[in-house]
Amino acid sequence: MKVLIANRGEIAVRIIRACRELGLPTVAVYSDCDRGARHVRDADQAVHVGPSPAVESYLRIDRLIDAARRTGADAVHPGYGFLAENAAFASACRDAGLTFIGPSPDAIALMGSKPAARAVAMRAGVPVVPGTDAPLASDTSDDEIARAAARIGYPVIVKAVAGGGGKGMRDVEYPADLRDAVRTARSEAGSAFGDTSVYLERRLARPRHVEVQLLGDHHGTVIPFVERECSIQRRHQKVVEESPSLAVDARLRERITRAAAAVAASAGYTNAGTIEFLLDEDGSFYFLEMNARLQVEHPVTEMVTSIDLVHWQIRIARGERLAIDPARAVTPQGHAIECRIYAEDPDEGFLPSPGLIRGVRAASGPGIRNDGGVVSGYTVPVFYDSMIAKLIAWAENRREAVARLSRALAEYEVLGIRTTIPFFLWLVRQQEFLDGRFDTTYLDRLLASRKGESFSELTDGDEERLAIAAALDAWFRATAGPSASAPRAGGWKSVAREEALR
Amino acid sequence: MTFEIEVNGRMRAVTIERAGSMPARFRVTVDGASRLVDAQRVGDFGVSMLFPESGDASGAVQIAPLSGGGELLGHIGGRTARVVVNGQRTRRAGADTVAAHGEQAIAAPMPGRVVRVLVGAGDAVQARQPLVVVEAMKMENELRSPKAGRVKNVAVSAGTSVEAGRVLVVVE
Repeated sequence: MKVLIANRGEIAVRIIRACRELGLPTVAVYSDCDRGARHVRDADQAVHVGPSPAVESYLRIDRLIDAARRTGADAVHPGYGFLAENAAFASACRDAGLTFIGPSPDAIALMGSKPAARAVAMRAGVPVVPGTDAPLASDTSDDEIARAAARIGYPVIVKAVAGGGGKGMRDVEYPADLRDAVRTARSEAGSAFGDTSVYLERRLARPRHVEVQLLGDHHGTVIPFVERECSIQRRHQKVVEESPSLAVDARLRERITRAAAAVAASAGYTNAGTIEFLLDEDGSFYFLEMNARLQVEHPVTEMVTSIDLVHWQIRIARGERLAIDPARAVTPQGHAIECRIYAEDPDEGFLPSPGLIRGVRAASGPGIRNDGGVVSGYTVPVFYDSMIAKLIAWAENRREAVARLSRALAEYEVLGIRTTIPFFLWLVRQQEFLDGRFDTTYLDRLLASRKGESFSELTDGDEERLAIAAALDAWFRATAGPSASAPRAGGWKSVAREEALR
Repeated sequence: MTFEIEVNGRMRAVTIERAGSMPARFRVTVDGASRLVDAQRVGDFGVSMLFPESGDASGAVQIAPLSGGGELLGHIGGRTARVVVNGQRTRRAGADTVAAHGEQAIAAPMPGRVVRVLVGAGDAVQARQPLVVVEAMKMENELRSPKAGRVKNVAVSAGTSVEAGRVLVVVE
């Protein structure tokens, strides 16, 4: 098997690693701005698939299939995002004789359409959040949409039918804001997923987001895994995920994993997928949606079960039987917690901070896993999601895992761009976070309560050390010889010039 | 050699002199208070410091220019602070914080693509009214009017790719 990875960034690197471990050759694809990207270097072969905008490269089914043909790849892993939940892509792979490492096109179409997935859950006897039963097509009138929202009851959430990762999703508190929210959600969904249809769902007051990872083989076996807790979200975008959830005891775990497996089985689901639930304060849970793909946060499950999900995706696609003890999959060993490191400036409202990375020192050491997608010298492009790495900490219990995460964050250096590392260092010191007392609204409320202070909390001593170091840095540059004496404050270009002269 | 160093907006005068014959020893004076520092360059942007008079305390810092603007960012234990050496700073892109009176230029705070232009020249606008939607890194960001007034001109149209700092709309 030779695997083409129809993706970029950290997930492409993650999949290449799994292929290497299984002895499989890999083919990367890249757009114009990703020529220097890490996944291009790490793969055995790499094929250019078009200009930087995703619709002209990573979303071009014809070019991806052609890249597989030209390189002799016979399997395709879609990663997450881009075409991962696009049934037409899965079909195109099948029609071209390629093994798609993921669910069948039918399962993607069924579970990838959120209203259809809700119907599957209801048939499997799993409760769902109130919402529209059918998607609102792009020609649905404003009046019709308003009537649907009124029927469900405010507050509602507008969600992209093809959505994920908080994209194409808008909260609506009042009827007057509905039209704009639908318009924005459609537009975002169109550019991120190539599909502008949306649907509406009631928003619960203080739910937790708890999800169940599944693997299904082609021989009728579906295995659910211990839950992941993903309630720490900023504007519906998960930023911290952990396993297990503090809100789930053994009995609830038994119920929720069984419900998840029932939904997957009734959909005839194969390969890796995740069923997301909202968990109410009273312990009742509701089916939210199914992600018919590998998830960003899959490493926390791998850390507490020692099962490599990407290996199993490939083995399942090759027709192997799931040889995993179901009891082991639902029994967490210790605690794992992940934070998503973004190229964003947390002190400027999380404004994207693309640009040239001048240095990276990823955290490492005991219990630490860094799934990174960037290298020093790479320019984080403006065209894609701004996540540059995932930092995962494992320890025997949650308290130690958080302490380890905190230690690792303080070690992590990314130079040249702003990142969310200072934000996470601040978050892991918040009392509610430490106590595990949070729901999906927690982080947005916490952020709204802040008054513009920097997330980088520095003492006078820290600032003085920075000042001394900056002066020493300037002194070293001034005395290092003629090539390094050019004034550096003129910008990184002058530094690049100095380095070129060395 | 004396440097004026601004960290998070606070200015300090820092004087660096070699201390005796030891190669890595410096006498560093910060606003009149002097101390010995054993300093070593590590990599392109790192400075490792030991403070022999403070129990050999260790401090490692990175001082690296931010991509684009030339602004320096100091990194210490995962946290960051804006650093200015000898007053050399560049103006930050983004006009969201300027005082909202007189003619206001609304500039792109980051590179991206204009998705929608919501106003036309001559339109009356309210303070905080969305003017332009710019997509960067797959999220749509609404840029709002800093003041109530009238749109003087619109410099971009939907589909335009913009650099950080590019003026999109002027409100008077």
